Amino acid sequence: MVKLETTLKNEKTSNSLTLKTPIIGASGTFGYNSEFVDFIDLNCFGAIATKGITLEKRPGNSGERIFEVQGGMINRIGLENVGIEAFVKEKMPYLLEHNIDFLLNIAGSSIEDYEKLAQIAQENNIKALEVNVSCPNVKQGCLEFGLNPESLFKLTQKIRQIYEGFLIVKLSPNTSDIKSLATATEQGGADCISAINTIRALGVKVDFIGNKFIKKSVQGGLSGSCIKPVALYMVSEIKRAVKIPVIAMGGISKLSDLFEFLSVGADAFEIGTANFIYPSICTSLARELNEFIEKNNFKNFEELKEQFKNE
Amino acid sequence: MDNYKGTIKYIGEIAKDTYKMGIISDLKQIKAGQFVSVLCPNKTLRRPFSASGFENGILSILFKLRGEGTEYLKNLKYGNNIDFLAPLGNGFDIKNKKSLLIGAGIGIAPMLFLKNELNKRNIENYLISGFKEVGEIVKGSDETIVGGSVLDNIENLIEKFKPEIIYSCGPSIVLKLVSELGIKKSIETQVALERVMACSIGVCRGCVIKLIKNNELTNASVCKDGPVFKGDEVVW
Repeated sequence: MVKLETTLKNEKTSNSLTLKTPIIGASGTFGYNSEFVDFIDLNCFGAIATKGITLEKRPGNSGERIFEVQGGMINRIGLENVGIEAFVKEKMPYLLEHNIDFLLNIAGSSIEDYEKLAQIAQENNIKALEVNVSCPNVKQGCLEFGLNPESLFKLTQKIRQIYEGFLIVKLSPNTSDIKSLATATEQGGADCISAINTIRALGVKVDFIGNKFIKKSVQGGLSGSCIKPVALYMVSEIKRAVKIPVIAMGGISKLSDLFEFLSVGADAFEIGTANFIYPSICTSLARELNEFIEKNNFKNFEELKEQFKNE
Repeated sequence: MDNYKGTIKYIGEIAKDTYKMGIISDLKQIKAGQFVSVLCPNKTLRRPFSASGFENGILSILFKLRGEGTEYLKNLKYGNNIDFLAPLGNGFDIKNKKSLLIGAGIGIAPMLFLKNELNKRNIENYLISGFKEVGEIVKGSDETIVGGSVLDNIENLIEKFKPEIIYSCGPSIVLKLVSELGIKKSIETQVALERVMACSIGVCRGCVIKLIKNNELTNASVCKDGPVFKGDEVVW
């Protein structure tokens, strides 16, 4: 799909990432990426973001991890993952061997964690990092890194000093001031922003059984089509604040969703929850986008994107 | 695993709030204990159902009305299309051993499939099932308990039938008791678990349980590593 090739470029540093298509599989929906190879057409993927990887292996949360809501779902997986060492040793060779472009999604609980992860990414020539900043900073009262502009600036800067590849920071929507966070990210030296991560939410179900109310609840991150308006708002705010490219995500499952995000300034897209419902959704979206471009006589995706910028 | 577009061959209420659906598709094989994940367009997530049989290319599933997803399925008619992922999970590891099958409630679905497979292989088996009330009984068992628990008289049955392996499906509490019984009586148990799932293919880690294997605690996803587990390995 030559027409879909797109390059995300940080004009200030000239750091760039070329994607075969603007469609990226979001973190947490493709495992370590190797599980899907039989079912997907890799030519349709710009990249696949790995599951969030931490320094050490993590078992994740115990108890219920999924709660379905109208138009979406809440998850509290708790970053279950094999840890960076096992990822590099056991999972990465498969990705390289099969030419699967990936964004290494990393998460930490201290700046030192992120620094070590960035170091390992740098040593292993990993092309692109997506930094999950929606994690509690254990050393500083467990406040999320991504919710405070100063700590986000510092974190981004520290990673930037170590990692020379394409640096993407994935922003949390759980803020009243996304613009300051986006600015902090850009000033810290990020090449790109991806947004939005899941929205903090509480799913509650109450049954009345045998004269008693029985409550079941799951607190976690909300995703799915119901968060699209929030994501559209956040992406448009981010675009007002920064010049670096933005990978948009949040409730994307249709071609029209791609156009909506383009109209607020998105440069590429991540698809998350929709993969659970339609395992071939990324493939279909890339094909539909390609067909649209051909049918409507656009030269390529870049030209189609330009049209939105001129609006 | 593949994504299939099937057509409904039959659908009907076989017991109170309990439906049986037959689906014809290109699906070539599915084992007892494996499941399918059905798209319910009015809901965000697909719904997992154990196969209750697979004959002449027709997959059958049983479902009990639980909410909007099953309400949607109930209203489907002969000839309607249905989108599902299959075959999913590991299925029962059938052993050539005298088999006791325990099905609690809608957990009878994979037990009926398994019984059929065991019969085909001439493996001696006995299926006991339990239901809350007479109206809910799904036929096909050698013995059915109504009210009470399917396990009320199980020790006597074990004494009499002397199974070498027990297979079971039903609510967690039943599977836990079956597993404990297996440990106590030194009988191998295989239990099919049910969990809320998102991806149903092992990538999202949404349906993870704990296992103890070689004295080590590990995570296992019900959808990919299960839904059938050795009863003595599950941490309840």
